[in-house]
Amino acid sequence: MMNEERFEKLWQEAEAEGHGGRLAKGYSAWRQRQRRIGAVAAVTAVLIITAVPLLTPHQSMDYEHVYCNRTGSTDAQWADLAAEMLIEI
Amino acid sequence: MKKILILLLLLLPLAATAQGELYKRYASRPDMTVAQVSGFRLGDSVRVDVVLMVADNEAAWQQMKKEFKLKGQEGVESWLGDPRQPAQHVKWTGAPVVRAIASHSRRTLAFYRLDTEAQYDALIDYQLEKMNKEKK
Repeated sequence: MMNEERFEKLWQEAEAEGHGGRLAKGYSAWRQRQRRIGAVAAVTAVLIITAVPLLTPHQSMDYEHVYCNRTGSTDAQWADLAAEMLIEI
Repeated sequence: MKKILILLLLLLPLAATAQGELYKRYASRPDMTVAQVSGFRLGDSVRVDVVLMVADNEAAWQQMKKEFKLKGQEGVESWLGDPRQPAQHVKWTGAPVVRAIASHSRRTLAFYRLDTEAQYDALIDYQLEKMNKEKK
């Protein structure tokens, strides 16, 4: 795997052999490829993080999320109230 | 540009359970407790968002009654409302509606957001099933 130390060594060797320009070009292409791989990996990770919760079945849960403007009641209590209101009629 | 795209993608799961317009409109009211139950399960594959509003006191309830044009004094009132103006009664046409239920004894209003016919049917099935269980 290429790293700064290894590159420095190669650079010195290439300079000594008169191939500095070729090495610089190759290194630039390698860096570009690495950046591209990094971007693809990041997008893939984000897609997985996004897709897993959306695709995972939540059949056992009676609700997904509760927002409330006050504290004091639990999420489950709100879900219970939502259920009870439907049979109040 | 890439960073912005990644950030947007990261925020996508949060958008799936965002606070609804109705919740946001009433959450800042000092005299009522407001909750949104996102993804309330009605059936095996049907879920709806529910907004519940509980008046903190009798004065707040009287105010809510005025705002939502409730006529009764006791029991329960129910109607289909416009999602943007839940007080406005509408008929089911297949367009998104809210099933509004007001309980005077609980000083509570509940709004079930129904965007599809499947949700509309599931809500009725849920009510029937629960009522039958209650009777037994």
